[in-house]
Amino acid sequence: MWIERKALAAEIPAAAALDTRQLCELLAALGFPVDGVASREGSEVLDVDITANRGDAMSHRGMAREVAAKLQQPLAPLAPAPLAEGAPKVEVRLESPACPLYATALLSLGAGGTPPEPQALLRALESSPKGLPAVDASNELLHRYGHPTHAFDADRIQGAVTVRWAKGGETLVTLDGVTRTLAPQDLVIADQAGPIALAGVMGGDGTKVTEATRRVLLESAWFDPKTVRATARRHSLHTDASHRFGRGADPAMATVARDLLVERLQAWAGATLEGAWTAGSLPAPAGSVILPEALLSRVAGEPLQLDEAAEALRRLGCRVEARPEALTVQPPSWRHDLTIPEDLAEEVLRLRGYEVIQSVLPPLEGPPQPLAAGYLQRQALARRLAHLGFHQTVTYGFISPEADAAFAAPTNGPEGRTLVNPLGQEYSVMRGTLLSSLRAVAEQNLRQGAREIRLFEVAPTYTSGPGGPVECFTLGLAWGGTLGGEDYLSPARRVQEADLSGIALDLGLASPPEVRSLGEGLFGFELPVSALPLAGARIIPAFRPFSRFPAVERDLSLLVELGQSYEALASAMRAALPQDLLQDLRCVDVFRHKSLPAGSQAWLMRLRFQADRTLVGSEVDGWMASALAAAESLGAKLRA
Amino acid sequence: MDHLLPAEILEADRAFAGALAACGDLDALLRLKGAYVGREGSHAARLMELLKAAPKEQKRDLGAAINGLKQQWEEGLKARQTELEAAKKNLNALAANWDPALPPPAPAHGALHPLNRLMDRLVEVFRPLGFHVEEGPEVETEAHNFDGLNIPEDHPAKASSDTFYLAAHPELLLRTHTSPVQVRTLLRVAPSLEQHGGIRFLAPGRVYRKDEIDPTHSPMFHQVEGMLVGHGIGMQHLKGTLEYALRALFGPHTEIRLRPSYFPFVEPGCEVDVSCPLCDARGCRVCKGSGWVEILGAGLLHPNVLRYAGIDPAEWSGWAFGMGVERMAMMLSQTPDLRLFFENDQRFLKAMGGLD
Repeated sequence: MWIERKALAAEIPAAAALDTRQLCELLAALGFPVDGVASREGSEVLDVDITANRGDAMSHRGMAREVAAKLQQPLAPLAPAPLAEGAPKVEVRLESPACPLYATALLSLGAGGTPPEPQALLRALESSPKGLPAVDASNELLHRYGHPTHAFDADRIQGAVTVRWAKGGETLVTLDGVTRTLAPQDLVIADQAGPIALAGVMGGDGTKVTEATRRVLLESAWFDPKTVRATARRHSLHTDASHRFGRGADPAMATVARDLLVERLQAWAGATLEGAWTAGSLPAPAGSVILPEALLSRVAGEPLQLDEAAEALRRLGCRVEARPEALTVQPPSWRHDLTIPEDLAEEVLRLRGYEVIQSVLPPLEGPPQPLAAGYLQRQALARRLAHLGFHQTVTYGFISPEADAAFAAPTNGPEGRTLVNPLGQEYSVMRGTLLSSLRAVAEQNLRQGAREIRLFEVAPTYTSGPGGPVECFTLGLAWGGTLGGEDYLSPARRVQEADLSGIALDLGLASPPEVRSLGEGLFGFELPVSALPLAGARIIPAFRPFSRFPAVERDLSLLVELGQSYEALASAMRAALPQDLLQDLRCVDVFRHKSLPAGSQAWLMRLRFQADRTLVGSEVDGWMASALAAAESLGAKLRA
Repeated sequence: MDHLLPAEILEADRAFAGALAACGDLDALLRLKGAYVGREGSHAARLMELLKAAPKEQKRDLGAAINGLKQQWEEGLKARQTELEAAKKNLNALAANWDPALPPPAPAHGALHPLNRLMDRLVEVFRPLGFHVEEGPEVETEAHNFDGLNIPEDHPAKASSDTFYLAAHPELLLRTHTSPVQVRTLLRVAPSLEQHGGIRFLAPGRVYRKDEIDPTHSPMFHQVEGMLVGHGIGMQHLKGTLEYALRALFGPHTEIRLRPSYFPFVEPGCEVDVSCPLCDARGCRVCKGSGWVEILGAGLLHPNVLRYAGIDPAEWSGWAFGMGVERMAMMLSQTPDLRLFFENDQRFLKAMGGLD
């Protein structure tokens, strides 16, 4: 909200002595940070940030009350000559509890327009003056005092004025020219012919003040905040008036604002008052709040004197009564936000200044809890993959239905994971897979000229379920492009599917994962993080003895058929060997060449034996013979 | 005897050593072998035709020259083949030729994402104070995301213009903050709160709000929530903890400043500023010359939040804070565009995330 320096000083003269920086700091310390300062119409305006609970501060007067309380300086008197009210010139009926109070006046307009000063003020506040005194004065009052008022063209109102709920199907053309279809929850001002204003939100086009208007009927009422908020939202009509009524206007200001408006019309436009009257009465004030001394001291973090607290609350307009060890506080009519003792404690602290709050570390009242195993597992997994050369990505949890279908399990239908109001189709499904996101990131990196892609993400994926999407932390990994070749010791080669299996097995996966193709030379896999082993409960595993005697390593070059299953051959060989002595058995080279018999290849198998004694050559020969025999039983031959 | 050989052969011979060295693998070597000593079309085959056609008196000398060349080529090819085979088998043949003046090979290294790294760091900072980590789902109920946090029924944040909802489950939404983890955790620990002596935890995680993607907005971002419940907890404990944590994060000379603010789930509420870590509070572009940067929102738990979880606010009190991870990351790194964090360019990740 824009605050003009001179208009603020008109309400709190002491503020004139502050320079802009001091004023900004003062407001920030009160909870109203200044987002910017601008110069307009020869005056300085501050863009003040006002939180949603402080409707009372949305005016120069409201801001001045805060500054006055903090500086302990008086506010300028707000003293229109109270109007003598008389019999209603137009009957006003209040039919809904959402409008308990409706102050009004009827005036005949004379000659004259809006004076230059209020016009300049409105322009400085980014609100364009209309040159119609009734409209501009209402607007100026709103900015100065925060109470929205409205002027109707009295000659276009037919019969009595009623504040009532709209009837289903009723329509109203609002000031912005839009035809609104009203709901029964909309509060309206109506005449005999139908609605003439949307209460607290916007006036109607048919009764608006124009240059031809001779007589005006003023409205200065109080409307229920919830009702106004709902109507503003229903019609997407967020106006200066709906903001203030929606956050809670000051009911006590209704007649005062009406009087101020009359005063301006008399002064600016030579208006003649035909009558002023009020329908209804002030809504009952909310009850008083008790602020116990113990609660105040607990919140403040130090013993505070109730006298000091009472004094601070009085500066904010509260009526305070001291009781033993507590204060009974009646908040002022403009502070709807003060409803519980904590609210009052905050006010006391706010006026004292948050800078005087001490810094104390809270004592431990019980033992700290360990970090959860699953959290630690994910953290360790990410660090391990990063050390292995992979880059951790963060991608959106929602993707397009097509991207989802490309990799999500066919049994995981997208219907249960689809958003009703996505940013767009491409962000509409809570993903059942990480691979589409990783593929998109990989493609983007390749377009940017990356030689090698090494990516991973640890994030939830979603499975549709009867009670809603079920989340499962998933590891997705993508790897592709050219590996090595960036220095003179590492030959270049393409990344292979086997490289990804190697990573997954190294991470502790029990069997190789399903490696998917993500594009030319680009592969990926994904698996639930729960498929990987948790770090053991023991910090150091139980000791397992190892031999200090030399190991014996022997190679066996086998001719096998091109379709031979490696796992079958290796298990057969392992089974034929003493389990406790065979340390390792693996294929260390594959040779395929036309010099070999057609349809065959050579596997160089390396076996490693070790025992708690020195092995004798002849026994190793025996084992090698057994291994060969086992291989031969599957059709392998010793390569000559 | 060279005068007996054609110019192009002499040229080929001069180029041989260079071509041999350029063969990076056995396939290339095989092609070179074919070109020099292959059965057909090679330099050696041409020489044999030359020899056949040569006058008798030249045959001896020419033959000797040809044999010399062929032998030289074959020996070179063989040696290179041995070398390449050795390299292929990773027998450190190249390592033997290592030139200490050359830069050593750099091991491949990846990176944690900068946002994750920052969240990990925050957890580390709070660990010594006894905070652990609580987590919750990203798809949440309206009750956990709003109702349990004293957010009024008609609050604008609930509108479908602000919050994503699930089509098949109207009561489910994508959490708009990490605060529902507060609600879940309090509901869980409420019965044993006395026995545990209160609770204190951080809740890092991803949250969603319906914002269009631009340099400062993203529909998904990260928050770290902190919460503490104990006996007699006041603003001084919030300030003390945040002062400790922000000094651990930004350095021992860091100052913090609390300003009154409003969030429905706390009372009193505050915004917390930290003395600008980029200019030591002297005033710079990041702190807009003020020396302060806003870093998080916080406050004492609203009694309704405790009541919702079945905790008596007359006995227990606490505080909570919430911090935007992207905002802090952008401030610290002066990254100009939020979208860079979700684009995941490997160069960005390596430079910004790195590894500890």
